[in-house]
Amino acid sequence: MKIKKGFVAKEIAGQYVVVALGAASKIFNGIIKLNDSAKFIWDMLSEGAEKTEIVDALLAEYDVDKETAERDVDAFVAQLEGANILE
Amino acid sequence: MLYIRIAELNICIENKYDYLEKLCREYTIEKPENVDMTVSVSDEQIAQEMSIAETEVTAGYAEGVCAYREICKRLPVEFGAYLFHSAVIEYGGDGFAFAAKSGTGKSTHIKLWRRRFGEGVHVVNGDKPILRFENGKLYAYGTPWCGKEGWQTNTRVPLKALCFLERSAENRIRRIGADEAVMLMFHQILTPQDLETVDSLFPLLDKTLREIPCYILGCNMSEEAAEVSYNGMK
Repeated sequence: MKIKKGFVAKEIAGQYVVVALGAASKIFNGIIKLNDSAKFIWDMLSEGAEKTEIVDALLAEYDVDKETAERDVDAFVAQLEGANILE
Repeated sequence: MLYIRIAELNICIENKYDYLEKLCREYTIEKPENVDMTVSVSDEQIAQEMSIAETEVTAGYAEGVCAYREICKRLPVEFGAYLFHSAVIEYGGDGFAFAAKSGTGKSTHIKLWRRRFGEGVHVVNGDKPILRFENGKLYAYGTPWCGKEGWQTNTRVPLKALCFLERSAENRIRRIGADEAVMLMFHQILTPQDLETVDSLFPLLDKTLREIPCYILGCNMSEEAAEVSYNGMK
């Protein structure tokens, strides 16, 4: 899984927001705010990480159980897919 | 050809229609020694603007809309400024910016301020002021583009607060943090189209959110709304 080209996540006053630039702005015209864990998943998706890798990384980074981590990744990925942001 | 000065910038507009000259008459200057920015609008842009306008507009009006968009697109990268879609008023030397979805009652709220606080309330710009930091202070500048009421003054005011309006039965105001304000702010700016603009604009929004307190005002159409609004932000 990979974030499409043209989507960038940047910080404003401690908040991470995603905007679509260039051709990507034709598919997605808006803005997404990311919390800490969403930013963490986003960064991995930008590198093209698979779900299992992301879940493992979340388990190492945050105090969560596997089930919760999987559910979080699935929910976030579904959201990004819904917005047509994933390749 | 038209020279105007807005937000302390000398701008040359290579206009095709007279409309811009009338619109900008209070901002027109003699040909300056240095021109900070030159804009022109193509026939294609004008035709495109006319085709998407909600009501029937003249080519001159469309040219005016396009010219301002061209100016505003270049503000973050070239001049460290940005368009903030809102109504800015000045009262007691302080600037208050009110932002809302259209139809929420921005204009009504400003009329309430005038009714409650009198002639001391001045509208700097009713719809599309430019925000710019000068010596570390954020100022809102009047511009000729100011919404359907035509409320504007060729002046600037230091901003004291940003206020997002919502309709509500009761009048109440609360301060919000950057987590809420950042999304609300985004709806009031020109969405950046390239990375260069993002890299200039985001630090400006960051600085704005760190330095200017933001509020959500739930308000009705009574004079008390202005009272609650001012007392919450003064």
